[in-house]
Amino acid sequence: MSQRSLLVGPFNRVEGDLEIRLEVEDGHVTAAYANSPLFRGFEAMLQGKAPLDALTITPRICGICSISQSAAAAAALGAVAGRPPADQGALVAALLHGVENVCDHITHFNLFFCTDFARPAYAGRAWHDRAVARFTAMQGSAARDCVEARAQLLHIVGMLGGKWPHTLAIQPGGVTRAPTARDRIRIASTLRAFRLYLERVLFGAPVELFAGLETAEAVLGWDRGDAGLFMEIARDLGLAQSGRGPGRYLSFGAYPLPGGRSFAAGVWEGGSLAPLDTGEIVEDLSHAWMLGGAAHPREGQTTPDEDMKDPGYSWCKAPRLSGRTVETGAFARQVVDGHPAALDLARAGSSVSARVAGRLLEIARTQLLLESWAGQIRPEEHFMDVVDIPHDGQGEGLVEAARGALGHWISIADGRIDRYQIIAPTTWNFSPRDAAGTPGPVESALVGAAVGEGEDTPLSVQHIVRSFDPCMVCTVH
Amino acid sequence: MAAIETFYDVMRRQGITRRSFMKYCSLTASALGLGPAFVPKIAHAMETKPRTPVIWVHGLECTCCSESFIRSAHPLAKDVVLSMISLDYDDTLMAAAGHQAEAALEDTIEKYKGNYILAVEGNPPLNEDGMYCIIGGKPFVEQLRHAAEHAKAIISWGACASYGCVQAAKPNPTRATPVHKVIIDKPIIKVPGCPPIAEVMTGVITYMLTFDRLPELDRQGRPAMFYGQRIHDKCYRRPHFDAGQFVEAWDDDNARKGYCLYKMGCKGPTTYNACSTVRWNEGVSFPIQSGHGCIGCSEDGFWDQGSFYNRVTDLTQFGVEKNADQVGMAAAGVVGAGVAVHAAVSALKAAQKKSQSQPSKEEV
Repeated sequence: MSQRSLLVGPFNRVEGDLEIRLEVEDGHVTAAYANSPLFRGFEAMLQGKAPLDALTITPRICGICSISQSAAAAAALGAVAGRPPADQGALVAALLHGVENVCDHITHFNLFFCTDFARPAYAGRAWHDRAVARFTAMQGSAARDCVEARAQLLHIVGMLGGKWPHTLAIQPGGVTRAPTARDRIRIASTLRAFRLYLERVLFGAPVELFAGLETAEAVLGWDRGDAGLFMEIARDLGLAQSGRGPGRYLSFGAYPLPGGRSFAAGVWEGGSLAPLDTGEIVEDLSHAWMLGGAAHPREGQTTPDEDMKDPGYSWCKAPRLSGRTVETGAFARQVVDGHPAALDLARAGSSVSARVAGRLLEIARTQLLLESWAGQIRPEEHFMDVVDIPHDGQGEGLVEAARGALGHWISIADGRIDRYQIIAPTTWNFSPRDAAGTPGPVESALVGAAVGEGEDTPLSVQHIVRSFDPCMVCTVH
Repeated sequence: MAAIETFYDVMRRQGITRRSFMKYCSLTASALGLGPAFVPKIAHAMETKPRTPVIWVHGLECTCCSESFIRSAHPLAKDVVLSMISLDYDDTLMAAAGHQAEAALEDTIEKYKGNYILAVEGNPPLNEDGMYCIIGGKPFVEQLRHAAEHAKAIISWGACASYGCVQAAKPNPTRATPVHKVIIDKPIIKVPGCPPIAEVMTGVITYMLTFDRLPELDRQGRPAMFYGQRIHDKCYRRPHFDAGQFVEAWDDDNARKGYCLYKMGCKGPTTYNACSTVRWNEGVSFPIQSGHGCIGCSEDGFWDQGSFYNRVTDLTQFGVEKNADQVGMAAAGVVGAGVAVHAAVSALKAAQKKSQSQPSKEEV
């Protein structure tokens, strides 16, 4: 029996820094500890600032999902005022947010995730030459296609939001720019161009066909486009059996529009969907380098423990829903929304393949949503209502970032921010252990992963960790 | 030192045609504000000079600079990123991970000692001996000092590396510190903005590669070619400022007409950057065009200047801030008269502007 301890990191090709300590026994991981070694202290900086400044400061938590942060901040401020945004403003905000989420997904797939299949360790596999040609870091043809398609798609954000990243347009009352009729046409044509990229390169088939897949078998057996190449690789490497999540899926619901959220909110477990109750959220600090006790984010505080005392091992807090871990992200979102193929996949439990499949399904579904929203723009209507932020009050802003559920909780006192707490998707997925010793979702997903003799940076671990699309700067902020 | 390929070799290897290459050279020349005579010069430099290796490291940051960089306008710009300048070490895009990645960094430093450019995204936090940003088990500040030691020059990407940016906002919990306060013995070029514009980033790099020197810098260490002009002076809404036509509330009629955002807190009058000329996302737009004021993200301390929605009150040169206020009040009642008064005042101020370099007094 052989035992060893392994420190994996820095990970690279993740947003921010990440380090994972593994206990390995007989070629398999027996325990994992995820450490987010980067702390900036946004919540402390926000205290005492003017409430609206959250709209500018929080997006700067993350340069990849800045619109998610700004949408959450706007929602939290809107909640304090008790006012929804103007209908057309909500629509444009959804467009901005949807574009960013899709961009994040294709970036993850092409630049961050599939890159590992081009590694020399896989030489000799039937698919390796194709993976090298498509997915090699910075050189592969898929990376180029993706960077170009993404830059084109982000023209929409440029047009509606002025710039990306760190777009400023989303406000509690709506958006700052009323699109013109000309913008509407440009948005539609940009979306058509992006559809061509998806249909020629990523899916190799009409978007509707991929979005409409109904069974796990159909998704995992997909054989066209880069999605097909990934599925072929995944079948060969058994990725559908790797990286099991907790089986509980959380979604705050994506794209709040006057008629409801386009992807539903809720918590799914064992075949049944329960309504979301954010009152059940508690952030546990037992294994974080943080001072204070477990609390709901409404009452939470962020005071780093400068001594970095044991048993803490991460700057990341451990959020729990009703005391339990949950998985969040594109796959969770599709499960909670009841997409038939996602539900079918969820019956076997989440896995590396399921998470990537969830993202691919969501890319296709979001493209359809974006096209429909673009058609609903009415340039003559109001895009922003004047929303006065009360001098005192509390608010909760819930959105779905590409990587999952993102919540902002704000308290305002005397016209200034009194408390600001953020729980990011990766905070859920990469949380450390809680007081009961229960590992976070990634920590438990890694248990059982194969580690070859002499492997310092085990590939199975790379795939599992990256399948969650970690964003470490958001995690700890 | 091993022989290094030229840029042109690298580009050819990537299958880029001569025609595209020449197009890139002429676009670059114009982006840099150089005449057509410089096109062959740039082309020649790229054909003959060994490519400059770049090491790109990340401290406390949000990766927005990298994100901006990989969206530069020219189709070749992605090749600039992905191959031409050859990011020999970049932890956001590179293949290697873990110890392999650390080894790659050491190799690159060793191989190109004294010849590489160190591009820094983000900054080091100095509190608690740098423990708030750990890379490969060591504080980022150590990686930074180590990589800087043998660098030819350093580029501070973005507001984080240049000034500290939001993580340095009061109370600056981690003591996030800009690069030039940690590295004091190397030439440093600051390319601020949150993030900087993609074309500005590729423009700065191309200039350094082509002419093998730093571009002309302003007093703050920013390349003058991109940070020499105020957003306000090149803003397409400027005529409305001069005419005293302001947005008074979000999505009011004035907002729809594209009036000036000064009263909504626009920091264009105190911000030096190329947003109003180069624009964003491949020249599509910029924040003011999207109806939101500039937040001044390329200026030092922009994160701690009071609310982003407060009006700028330290306008230098023009001294119209009080007048704009008065005009605003007057405009509510007697629009025509207010505009006329303001227009007259603006003309006067414009005549005086050369002699004004102090923050203006409340004079009319």
